[in-house]
Amino acid sequence: MLGVATNPALVAHLYRRAGFGATPAELEQLSHKSWTELVDGLLAGLSGPDRAGDAVAFPHLTTLPESNVPGYNYNGWEEYTNLVQWWLERMVVTDTPLREKLTLLLHCQFPTSITKVNWAYMMYAQNQIFRTLGPGNFETLVQAVAKGPAMLTWLDTGTSHRNAPNQNFARELMERFTMGIGNYTQEDVIQGARAFTGWELDTVSGGFFFNSYDHDNGVKHFLDRTGRFKGEDIVHIVTHEPSSHRWVISRLWTWLAYPVTPNDPVVQDFVHGYAKDLNITNLLAAMFHHPAFVSAQAMQGLVKQPIELLVGALRVLGLTTAPFSPGTLQGLLGAIGQVPFAPPSVGGWGWNEYWQSTGAAAGYLQLAGSLAAVANLTALENGDGHPADQVTAALSLIGLPDVSHRTRSAVTSLALSLRQSSGSWPAQQIVTVALLSPEFAMN
Amino acid sequence: MTLTLDRRQFLTGVLGGGVATAVVRFTGLSSLLSMAEASASTVARNGPFVLCTLYGGNDGLNTVIPYDSGIYRDWRQSLAIAGEQVLPLGDDGSGQLGFHPSLAGLHSLWKQGKVAVISGVEYPKPNFSHFASQTIWQTARLSADPDAGWLGRWLDMTGTDPFRALSVGPTLPPALVGYKQQASSVVDSTSAGAQLPGQNPAFTGAYKQLMSSYPGEPALQAGQARSGGNLMLVGSKAADALTHEQPPAAPPGSGPGDIGTQLDIVAELIAYGLPTSVYSVSWSSFDTHSNQAGTHAGMLASLDAAVTGFMSVFPKAAPGKSPVILICSEFGRTPRVNASLGTDHSSASVVLVVGPAVKGSFYGATPSFTKLDPYGNLIFTTDFRRVYATVLEQVLGIGSPSPILDGAFRPINFV
Repeated sequence: MLGVATNPALVAHLYRRAGFGATPAELEQLSHKSWTELVDGLLAGLSGPDRAGDAVAFPHLTTLPESNVPGYNYNGWEEYTNLVQWWLERMVVTDTPLREKLTLLLHCQFPTSITKVNWAYMMYAQNQIFRTLGPGNFETLVQAVAKGPAMLTWLDTGTSHRNAPNQNFARELMERFTMGIGNYTQEDVIQGARAFTGWELDTVSGGFFFNSYDHDNGVKHFLDRTGRFKGEDIVHIVTHEPSSHRWVISRLWTWLAYPVTPNDPVVQDFVHGYAKDLNITNLLAAMFHHPAFVSAQAMQGLVKQPIELLVGALRVLGLTTAPFSPGTLQGLLGAIGQVPFAPPSVGGWGWNEYWQSTGAAAGYLQLAGSLAAVANLTALENGDGHPADQVTAALSLIGLPDVSHRTRSAVTSLALSLRQSSGSWPAQQIVTVALLSPEFAMN
Repeated sequence: MTLTLDRRQFLTGVLGGGVATAVVRFTGLSSLLSMAEASASTVARNGPFVLCTLYGGNDGLNTVIPYDSGIYRDWRQSLAIAGEQVLPLGDDGSGQLGFHPSLAGLHSLWKQGKVAVISGVEYPKPNFSHFASQTIWQTARLSADPDAGWLGRWLDMTGTDPFRALSVGPTLPPALVGYKQQASSVVDSTSAGAQLPGQNPAFTGAYKQLMSSYPGEPALQAGQARSGGNLMLVGSKAADALTHEQPPAAPPGSGPGDIGTQLDIVAELIAYGLPTSVYSVSWSSFDTHSNQAGTHAGMLASLDAAVTGFMSVFPKAAPGKSPVILICSEFGRTPRVNASLGTDHSSASVVLVVGPAVKGSFYGATPSFTKLDPYGNLIFTTDFRRVYATVLEQVLGIGSPSPILDGAFRPINFV
């Protein structure tokens, strides 16, 4: 496929969806490649090394065993804030953008919040499960997530008992994580909850512990099957249900292309392949090669999630998280409504219109101004060219070579007006407005 | 985390010091006010309506407590609130009821006849999923599929004025998102220190131009522009209201995001006379699966302080300033305590309506404690859509709420 270049707009689309966007310089390089080469390159990152990501300084996070030392002082809020900064930095600098993107999407798929887990290390451990097991077999992933300390705490599996099973995890496992509503009954929830009894978080080791004395070993009738099911059996069953195939596909397609329900025809196109091995890497490959991925519906089908917008903006501005003290970016994201490790509920964040409230708009004003204020924009300030060229340079910098007349005109009028009063090109203000443009919000 | 942030600083940081101030400086307040007034719909005699959503499933049985019932005490064991602690409300026909001891302010409002207690509220075939049940409550449709919200459908059929409905908080409850329109929201942010770029007229002008959609703009992109345009419009007027009105006493210790701060903002906006018919506040989490007693008492105490502070601004009914606060949650909790000293997702629960024009009394009916569903949950007596029908008819002045609620539901005369 050598010599088959790809339209830069499509390359940019692929890198926004399968990562956090490409800089103009990166696009220049990438556009010489064929679509297959581009997709293969991204997929290779799912299993390949991430030198830049691994080099991000890891904050100290207290493990449960460490905290058991008498007198140990656990500063949970500080650790959480450092963890947020670490992951944001990782998303910005990573060599394997698709893997970090998948990690984020799996966080959206298994929304778990520090507000209840209340332990930064547990959130980190879950994040690593997403990063390492996310690209593989979906059942393997769910088994690991289910036994992770964060999930054991978040949905109460760890405090459910044989004599009074807690239904929280069994329900959300089916409703949110694997199958979707309408594919199971309340009786299935009750029976499933029995199977998960005995699952505990061992506070001495900090890991999963199966307490056979508190496990309901009786016969369960679950999704038309009968047996002395354990929790692992339930995870196996639900991840292999036909409804789960459609659910997982529809969720990924919703975040990568455009929102769909499990019954959408495009979902069916992936069912046969996914059902064979439940392999997420193979599913992603199929999605990026599907014609609908580059359809008009897909190209105009998503607005960026706030985290995606932030990371993408840092990347095009040549920034990392370094200029921001821990907590600053977290606060800016909080004003818009999406902080890593703190989804609003086990339902997670919404998409598209969900991010188009006036409240989010106010948050974006703060974010754009804060980013432009620390970016090195010397190249834009010193330009001596025609106003139109200056504006084009600013818009190109953030990856918007082609924008509407409306946006170009708004940026131009600001540039001219401020140049008149200050005598130089107001690069910071121009970039702020450009970052706020409706075009930049599109994913 | 301990977060100490002065309330006024929070408000001015977000609104007054931000784009809103820039708008006011640049365009002049009077033109914005006239824009708002020209587009304002008439505000109904009762109202505005204040939707107060308690996410997570509030425990109705420990909010309005059947303290005389031996069955209740048997179900709840150590979670049962003793008769000498509850704040008595009287007998609703099923037995003696009383408020949780944390609800002293609401108890006082009850004695003034300003609280409606609606018992046994839910819908047929209860759904025990947070999200399904929240979706049902927010859409007023029983399918549990995500859909337009009931107040969103009201927005869809009442023009385009962005002031009609206002949500406090960074994200909008689905109840206020229609097929075509959604409520505006006032941001609830702790990032007061961040410098906004909107301090000069040229920037504000550019932002305004940027946030005007053009013919043929792709729908999602146009929606992005609309959110910015509405921010300018609503933010300017809200900032003005918050600058001019004295704040009611926000409950001590309220921080950004708390229910106290949210209702405090709403009280000021109503007192100022913002042409808004629907406000929305929300709070979580009432999902008390474990060690419920202390958590629940604390949540109720904060709610009580917030509502009491809010009501102090509106001692008497007055045109356009007779707020009707509806306090509801997606379901109640299991009658029986679980092994983690908490309660699980269940069905019928209690709805409270508070306001100067509310006719305080018992409504609905307390469910039977002996006839339960197969899973041991209470069986509802009062369809939640009857509550909505009342709000739409008697607070929002919709002649026939049937098109919004997909059918006729008999109102409950609590207003």
